[in-house]
Amino acid sequence: MIANADALLKPLTIKGLTIRNRVMSTSHAPGYGRDGKPQERYQLYHAEKAKGGIGLTMFGGSSSVAPDSPAAPWNQISVADDSVIPYFRQFADRVHEHGGKLMIQLTHMGRRTKWDTEHWLPTVSPSPRREPASRTLPKEMEEEDIARVVKSFAQAARRCREGGLDGCEVSAAHGHLIDQFWSPSVNQRTDKYGGSLENRMRFGIEVLEAMRAEAGDDYVIGIRMSGDEMIADGLSQEDCLAIATEYARRGLVDFLNVLGGQARDHIAHAISLPNMSFPVAPFLFLPSAIKREVDVPVFHAQRVTDLATAARAVADGHVDMVAMTRAHIADPHLVKKLSEGRADDIRQCVGAGYCIDRIYVGGDALCIQNAATGREATMPHEIRKADVRRRVVVVGAGPGGLEAARVCAERGHAVVLFEKSGQAGGQIGLAAKAGWREAMSGIPRWLVAQVTKLGVDLRLNTEATEAAVLAEKPDVVIVATGGTPFRGHAKGAEQHAVTTAEVLSGAVEPTGSVLLYDEMGQHNASSVAELLAKRGCLVEVATHDRMVAEEVGTTNQPIHLRELYKLGVVMTPNMELIEIYPEGNRFVAALRNTMTDAEEERLVDRIVVDHGTLPVEGLYRALKASSVNRGQTDQDAMLRGEPQPYDLSRGYALYRIGDAVAGRNIHAAIYDALRLCKDL
Amino acid sequence: MTGPVSLTTVFPGLVWAMAALALVQVLRRAALWRAGAAASVPWLSGLASLPRRYLVDVHHVVARDGYASRMHAVVAGGMLAASLLTALAILPPLGGFRPYWGVVAAAFGVMAAGSLMVGARRYPVKKPRLSAGRFQILPFLLLAYALGGTLTALLLALGAGGIALPFTLALAAAGGLGLAFEVRHGPMRHAAAGALHLVAHPRPGRFAGRPDTALQPLDLDAPRLGAEMPADFTWNRLLSYDACVSCGRCETACPAFAAGQPLNPKKLIQDLVAGLSPAEPAYAGAPYPGGRDAMGGRGALIELVGPEARIHPDTLWSCTTCRACVEECPMMIEHVDAVVSLRRSQTLELGALPEKAVGPVTELRQAGEAGGRPLAARTDFAAGLDLPVLAPRGRTDVLLWLGEGAYDLRYGRSLRALVRLLRQAGVDFAVLGPEERDTGDLARRLGDEATFQALAKANIATLAARDFGRIVTADPHALHALRNEYPAFGGRYAVMHHTAFLLELIRAGRLAPGRLSDVSVTYHDPCYLARYNGETEAPRAVLDAIGVSRVEMARSGRRAMCCGGGGGAPVSDVPGERRIPDLRMAQAAETGAGIVAVACPSCTAMLEGVPDRKAEIRDIAELLLQAVEAGR
Repeated sequence: MIANADALLKPLTIKGLTIRNRVMSTSHAPGYGRDGKPQERYQLYHAEKAKGGIGLTMFGGSSSVAPDSPAAPWNQISVADDSVIPYFRQFADRVHEHGGKLMIQLTHMGRRTKWDTEHWLPTVSPSPRREPASRTLPKEMEEEDIARVVKSFAQAARRCREGGLDGCEVSAAHGHLIDQFWSPSVNQRTDKYGGSLENRMRFGIEVLEAMRAEAGDDYVIGIRMSGDEMIADGLSQEDCLAIATEYARRGLVDFLNVLGGQARDHIAHAISLPNMSFPVAPFLFLPSAIKREVDVPVFHAQRVTDLATAARAVADGHVDMVAMTRAHIADPHLVKKLSEGRADDIRQCVGAGYCIDRIYVGGDALCIQNAATGREATMPHEIRKADVRRRVVVVGAGPGGLEAARVCAERGHAVVLFEKSGQAGGQIGLAAKAGWREAMSGIPRWLVAQVTKLGVDLRLNTEATEAAVLAEKPDVVIVATGGTPFRGHAKGAEQHAVTTAEVLSGAVEPTGSVLLYDEMGQHNASSVAELLAKRGCLVEVATHDRMVAEEVGTTNQPIHLRELYKLGVVMTPNMELIEIYPEGNRFVAALRNTMTDAEEERLVDRIVVDHGTLPVEGLYRALKASSVNRGQTDQDAMLRGEPQPYDLSRGYALYRIGDAVAGRNIHAAIYDALRLCKDL
Repeated sequence: MTGPVSLTTVFPGLVWAMAALALVQVLRRAALWRAGAAASVPWLSGLASLPRRYLVDVHHVVARDGYASRMHAVVAGGMLAASLLTALAILPPLGGFRPYWGVVAAAFGVMAAGSLMVGARRYPVKKPRLSAGRFQILPFLLLAYALGGTLTALLLALGAGGIALPFTLALAAAGGLGLAFEVRHGPMRHAAAGALHLVAHPRPGRFAGRPDTALQPLDLDAPRLGAEMPADFTWNRLLSYDACVSCGRCETACPAFAAGQPLNPKKLIQDLVAGLSPAEPAYAGAPYPGGRDAMGGRGALIELVGPEARIHPDTLWSCTTCRACVEECPMMIEHVDAVVSLRRSQTLELGALPEKAVGPVTELRQAGEAGGRPLAARTDFAAGLDLPVLAPRGRTDVLLWLGEGAYDLRYGRSLRALVRLLRQAGVDFAVLGPEERDTGDLARRLGDEATFQALAKANIATLAARDFGRIVTADPHALHALRNEYPAFGGRYAVMHHTAFLLELIRAGRLAPGRLSDVSVTYHDPCYLARYNGETEAPRAVLDAIGVSRVEMARSGRRAMCCGGGGGAPVSDVPGERRIPDLRMAQAAETGAGIVAVACPSCTAMLEGVPDRKAEIRDIAELLLQAVEAGR
């Protein structure tokens, strides 16, 4: 049992609202909104957490209260008119049914949004200073704008109450309108809303007073705010403490939801949403400091990925509620598993940031390791037992194969899992060797623990030959043999280039000068460049893309860039590797500028390339002809969530998943496995 | 006309002399008992029910060991019959009637056979649980008396005799007088003291077919609290310890002894005997584990417990109050009462609670809860379940008593299952919420009667202000206190264990469980339910109703082994060579069951804390809920 776990399972009562435990999920924007409304997908995503025992789930990060803070950019929610109320009611019922409480975040984003979406209204802010992250230059708010937005907040609060939500918070964090007023880095007004901290606090006070007047004083309203903006011209920890104390003293807020940092540009954004390169709970000291000064409950989220840390945060009195938002994306049944004494079964968030990185490029939030999250309507978090017990052979214990084995075993099938190497985890094992990416190893660690517990016959150091597979007399064979790194098409690459995988595995240990050529724009090249530079190599990363790590998401990319800059890695975008040839003990790389076609050469000790992987498909081809389905997955059946339509009395069905089909990513492999196997 | 005729008088005379000697020895012993405090003893009813107490209640215990039972029937029955018949032969018509001597010879012959059985338990190798010392000569004395008696009677029956008779008679006299002599310090004391103990038993209710297990209230205004020295026990308690026959059945049953903690109930009783009796021969049984030498003075006014006294405090605090020793004792000795009396003195007079127990007992006294946690936090486990709280003057059908387990993270799961079952069955129930104080069980077992009584009175006052049909609790310790111990303070309630209540709901069709047929379960009886309250069937009936395959451990029901969680033992935390719950889980593992079903928060905590356990620990309520959900 986790130390102090009981501290997490104590109820918390705020203004008569009793939250059953101290674990919550903060408002975020998973990109599940449709037409500005939280519809079925959004609701089921949160209902699953309630089913999983969470005390409070807050949805609708940055839900807008007015049209000039459009809901469109993140497929978000608009609370700017009454049409949202019926959706709130349906939503609240779905969460309350499982004993959870539901709140929303309301905000006006001010300058931190786009003018060229939805209503084409200019963005507004206390002062016309451009925000690097949103790239908009806002209009300076007139007093009439202020009055209008205050009224919008009040009406939005009323809609929350009428919609049966248990409360709401206003966002004054990450550089939204209220903290744009607070922060001297934005607010340069000279009227009663600018200048002194007292003046800068005024707008937020007016907002909260108006909301209280409209929604009633007995309605739970809190605020999300930074405990320290951590920028030179921003709010200091003392400023934030003064704001928190003043707002609480005035009775404006029933809780304070405190985080560290702000998000005005890429690196600030990455720091405010710490990835696996950060220690756990890096900013816990900020809410802790505020909690010492105020009488209202204090909440906090920021990389609290494990229950031991969460329990410590609450038991030691740093916070009243601990938000495990990404932790719930990885495992929405976290609290239930804790209270049932099954903490070992919790799929722990590794901090890959896949969920949030996707939404900042307009996608929907998906978990790198849990393919059911956000797909509750079609994908089960708890696997149902199959009616018929089958013999399943899975080949390859990478993430896809492990997930396939896990799901099949949960279905009640007898599963044999072959793994050629001595270790499960596939390519994740390589990724985890690169510096701060070590936590990736948490993904296979959980899967291996689960398949072991479920009685899967995991055969390490055993290559699955055709004969070995058929000897198991399988009903189903799943080929998850993964991919093998490939050296690309440049002339001479096959003979002279080494791959990032070979560097990570230790097969090659480059020294001296290294040219790292990247065609994928993923973590691989950046993390290998960082690793080599730290080992003392002089590294240049050249890429076909417009920038290094172009495909890496917004919470990870700045960390890569920061590290590469710090290490003096030369970054050369818009280059194509066209030829490699040896010269003495060294190699010459010929590069072509993709914009100008001008060619350049580099004379280096090593040329490392990343071109992704090509499928390992020998076994698949050997087994294909004699399978009942000739290795084909019936995509229509799979997409409809129906069993594959093959008659297993005539032989075995053969499927392949993950990189063994085409090189993609971890989520793709795991989703391939889950959606196929849940119906096997 | 000397010879045979006079011998028909001498032989009965021998028996009368034996009786006289035995009486003298008993009286010498009784002089010691007189040091004890007064006790009101219902002599007449005690005497009247002696045969029944002996033949039914004692026999019920003795018969668990078939060999010992047969042995005792033969040797004691033979001896009593032969001695009585011989004594009657002092009457000339009988003494002169030769066939009568044939009957006497037969009775002595039976006794002789029994004597051989007695010997067979001790030679060539003594059974480990038996004591040696003077017990080792017992078979010879028995055999001498029996053989001497048989031959003498035979010779008298045949009218032969002559030269042989003085020898056979001498043999009988040696054995018989030896046995009579042994009534004071030796093995035969058990017969005299045992019979008197049955008459003057301090818990006559035991023989009335109901569990008489409530600790007797202590008058807190008495000049001396608890037993510090032998004289502090009532005289009939001192007598009861003399009844000990050192058979060692208690030792075999004792969980602390098995775990190598410094407690052996037999040695404890023998120390109480020796503490009183300056001339007591040396103890010759298994020692307290840990091998502490006997030390300390003897006498009615010498302290019994202390680092330098006969009974080390660690011995006293090792007891889990599980009553396994009491359950096994053929002499009906109340070991747990003795332990608690000694503890009361240690706690109330000397303030000598074990260091680790001071905290919980202080919290009980000051906060009404052993962990010092807010009483309102007792319902935290059910946050989100909206437990109805019974307000003063409120009315509910079932008052759910949550107990100490409600604070425990693991046990909260069991209680949540129970609450959900009550909801499912549409039971009108409520809890006391912040008004529920600890029942005081822990304080009472640790000897802090004052704290117990204060808590009992507070709870009784709380309950008196509310209207409820009955109390249901999942905690057998709370159940025992509420049902059996609160009546002495004016609180009389219908109290049900949750397993019995759930069974009632199933039988009434209010719960419709499905069947968990692929599950193998062994049920661990809580001491305070099985031994203290005699309830062993309801939990098993619930398990049968959900269709699990139920297997029994070697020790189950009223003879189950304790988990180690009672009597304050977990807070006293006296180290041993092993841990009691580890032993119990090893016994559970022998059944091969995948689940150990429990019905007590202490058992849950103790058994679930066993490292590397192979079986899951599930409360009956959890299993039933699973079945009910499976049945939907």
